[in-house]
Amino acid sequence: MGLVVGSNPMSMDAIAMVLVERFGADLEDVRIQEPDTVVARVAREKLRDVAARLKADPEVGYETLNWVAGVDRRTALESVYHVYSWKTNTWIELHVTVPKAKAEVDTVCDIWPAADWHEREAWDMVGIRFIGHPDLRRILLKDDFVGHPLRKDYVDLAENHPHV
Amino acid sequence: MSERIKAVKYPKLEHFSEPNVITTTADFIFSWARSHSVFPFTYGLACCAIEMLTSGFARYDIARYGMEVFRPTPRQCDLMIVAGTVNEKMAPVLKRLYDQMSEPKWVVSMGACATSGGPFYDGYNVVNGVDKIVPVDVYIPGCPPRPEALFQGLLELQGKIQQFKFVPEKPAGYELFVADETAPAAKEEA
Repeated sequence: MGLVVGSNPMSMDAIAMVLVERFGADLEDVRIQEPDTVVARVAREKLRDVAARLKADPEVGYETLNWVAGVDRRTALESVYHVYSWKTNTWIELHVTVPKAKAEVDTVCDIWPAADWHEREAWDMVGIRFIGHPDLRRILLKDDFVGHPLRKDYVDLAENHPHV
Repeated sequence: MSERIKAVKYPKLEHFSEPNVITTTADFIFSWARSHSVFPFTYGLACCAIEMLTSGFARYDIARYGMEVFRPTPRQCDLMIVAGTVNEKMAPVLKRLYDQMSEPKWVVSMGACATSGGPFYDGYNVVNGVDKIVPVDVYIPGCPPRPEALFQGLLELQGKIQQFKFVPEKPAGYELFVADETAPAAKEEA
């Protein structure tokens, strides 16, 4: 089954309607962000299920994960997935809230292999632990770095600066 | 230093219209040759690297100072131009590469980041100056420094290289010479 770029042009309203119809309550707070993005919130437990179904969807299939972002919202962490559909040439943005007390979320590495290094970066910088990731270690910072520096409550530690 | 170099009368081409000789010191001729054949190490870490690359091309032409042979391996280099921010993960690598360079070797800290951390001085992963890791010979200010500023720093480095003494302060046989001088004094005491 060859992939034809832009083979299924749809309006953003139509895409949002299709998603609401297919996923129902699995996608919360669905809204359209002009010009070409659908933003939705997903419960942490349903992420893998939703991701697999989004990728396999014959009509709007979101095949390409472009990045995973870790965000510190102060009250909780957030893992954000930006996925592209070549069929409709549009994006979907999935927001998953991750509580700080148990900063864990299931990996989507096996669904979108591109998530591998992005999840490692989110772990490195924000400290979200991705359950089921094949090799979850730091990617940008040195291996013995202490803490996760892009958290709002991170304070610069002396042990991270041995060359003083 | 630069005064000493200026004071030296360079021989001109017309002096060699017939067989001729030049007398000079070993220190001068070797350090002169060494200062005009510096092999820099391509160690670009950030935006300063763009200015360092620009220095190599035709408009600024680092070859005028005999420094155009950038080498990607530390074994063949004697000058490390640290062009950019050094972070904590890079620091051990930088130290190792510096150790692999062959003696004699020099380090130029190019720009604000390599000198002090620059605008990232309080970053969670930034080393506040490459001089925390390796000894630095010349600091070049700027963010990033223009190629002219880099050349100013390299000319300062040339002056520093020319100060280098090959011939040891106490040459071979020096002790015998000293012993002869002190011998009459010993006799007088007797």
